[in-house]
Amino acid sequence: MNELALTGIFLFVLFLLLGSGVWVGLALLGVAVVGMELFTSRPAGDAMITTIWSSSSSWSLTALPLFIWMGEILFRTRLSEDMFKGLAPWLARLPGGLLHTNIVGCTVFAAVSGSSAATLTTVGKMAIPELRRREYPEHMVIGTLAGAATLGLMIPPSLILIVYGVTINESITQLFIAGILPGLVLASMFMAYVAIRSFVKPDERPVAEPRMTFAQKVAMSRFLIPVLLLIAVVIGSMYLGFATATEAAAFGVIGALVLAASQGSLSFQTFLESLMGATRTSAMIALILAGAAFLTLSMGFTGLPRAVAEFISELNLSRTELLIALMVFYIIVGCFLDGISSVVLTMAVVEPMIRQAGIDVIWFGIFIVVVVEMAQITPPIGFNLFVLQGMTNHDIGYIARAAIPMFLIMVVMVFLLIAFPSIATFLPSSLSG
Amino acid sequence: MRTSLDGLYFAGGVLAAGFMVAILLIIVGQMVTRWTGIAFPGSTDYAGYCMAAASFLAFPYALNAGSHIRVTLVLSRLGSYQRAGEIWCMAIGTILACYFAWYAVRAVYWSHFLGDISQGQDELPLWIPQLSMAFGGVLLAIAFMDNLISLIITGRDNIEAEKLRDAGH
Repeated sequence: MNELALTGIFLFVLFLLLGSGVWVGLALLGVAVVGMELFTSRPAGDAMITTIWSSSSSWSLTALPLFIWMGEILFRTRLSEDMFKGLAPWLARLPGGLLHTNIVGCTVFAAVSGSSAATLTTVGKMAIPELRRREYPEHMVIGTLAGAATLGLMIPPSLILIVYGVTINESITQLFIAGILPGLVLASMFMAYVAIRSFVKPDERPVAEPRMTFAQKVAMSRFLIPVLLLIAVVIGSMYLGFATATEAAAFGVIGALVLAASQGSLSFQTFLESLMGATRTSAMIALILAGAAFLTLSMGFTGLPRAVAEFISELNLSRTELLIALMVFYIIVGCFLDGISSVVLTMAVVEPMIRQAGIDVIWFGIFIVVVVEMAQITPPIGFNLFVLQGMTNHDIGYIARAAIPMFLIMVVMVFLLIAFPSIATFLPSSLSG
Repeated sequence: MRTSLDGLYFAGGVLAAGFMVAILLIIVGQMVTRWTGIAFPGSTDYAGYCMAAASFLAFPYALNAGSHIRVTLVLSRLGSYQRAGEIWCMAIGTILACYFAWYAVRAVYWSHFLGDISQGQDELPLWIPQLSMAFGGVLLAIAFMDNLISLIITGRDNIEAEKLRDAGH
């Protein structure tokens, strides 16, 4: 059989296994076995074990379970109430009012959590009922939350950036630092939208909050100090070069435990729950990474990555055209897969392509996070939509429509990143150590 | 039978959680030794082994807790064929898990037989850390067979409904 037919079979098996509902990690593993059998005479099973063992026991991966654990601990604290109470007095007088608590709350929690689903639940748990009680328009409450929660994956720590960094062998610390500015820019754009909308549609303005003195505001937000300290320790230690990403994660876990204990919300029960929850999530991602590591090896034998990279370079696309094509590609992939799976599944093909095109891989990590996150707030598969559905009982279509403005803002963000790459590359290049 | 199998998967999860705590301790230890100038050779390798153990041993526990993700877009629209679809997925899962378990056990056997030593500073015989991969692989294969048989006989597997917040998205 010729190469083309073999490639066809390989891709068919990939779509069949993934599409029919086989667990993603195992589906990738299965496709990889088929690829090895079709394209090389190397013993597939032994190659599988060697690859999976070395990728699963990698030191840089250890940041992953620790950051997950940190988020799990904080999720079980009073943080969600404290955040709303502490942020509301400062944001209430801005145009758009308390809707800003959704965005700033997500930004703050994103800085201690690596996942957007966890960010969404933690912030939404408190903000949704409070905002509803004050009669904010429902679609704005839900839309801003869906959009801002995507910051969970952009602002460090970020599980998807760890996965990306491990997959392409780049510094996780650099990727984390690169995510800070774009995350803040995106958060400000969300806030600008809320503010502008409150002028365009003044009838949507809810009742103004009672005025508070400065001292009262400070008193209300004193509960936020511990979490801000935690953020400073985790991100600061990485930025100043005191700690690697993994070590910062260890600081984070210990800091989160101290914070929980000081609030009195740390019992043996919640400690165990957070640990077991983190074990499950970490195992889930580890299975995908194991399958993906083997698929990357197998993919190399198929010649597909090289062929695609050559095809792309023959098209003579400009950098912008290539990136827009990739954006569309990832939004489509993201319609069927979650963020982490879409990154690991495609990197074997996309990495040689972007390296050949001379695109900075750290910058591309941030680009891919924005793009993949856009897919998380679009149907049919959008995890943020699912989580919000569980929390609010609205149907997916309603939530997705409420999130459309946020989706468009993220498209603008992508173009900003393309036009001004230094948004992402400035901080990592100034990294000390 | 049911309780003992579930207990086995849970035990794997608990053991995995123990290794997760071990990762934390090793990393803290590594920082402390660095500041105090004491040598802790092989710390990164040990952390890596714990990472592998924390993952492999928890695979079956995470499976039955519904944590592993899959694309259910087609599956949920199969109507009366949904059960056939579930059996297909479970059968593929069983085959792949058995395949993995077989080679994982073989790898441990060969590492032991050839006396492979880690290339890191830990200089540990490789079969010891690789045991977690073999145990986890076999446990996962058992869990899949268990689910497949339950699904065929009783029409239901032992997997809890997907917990969305659990997923690392």
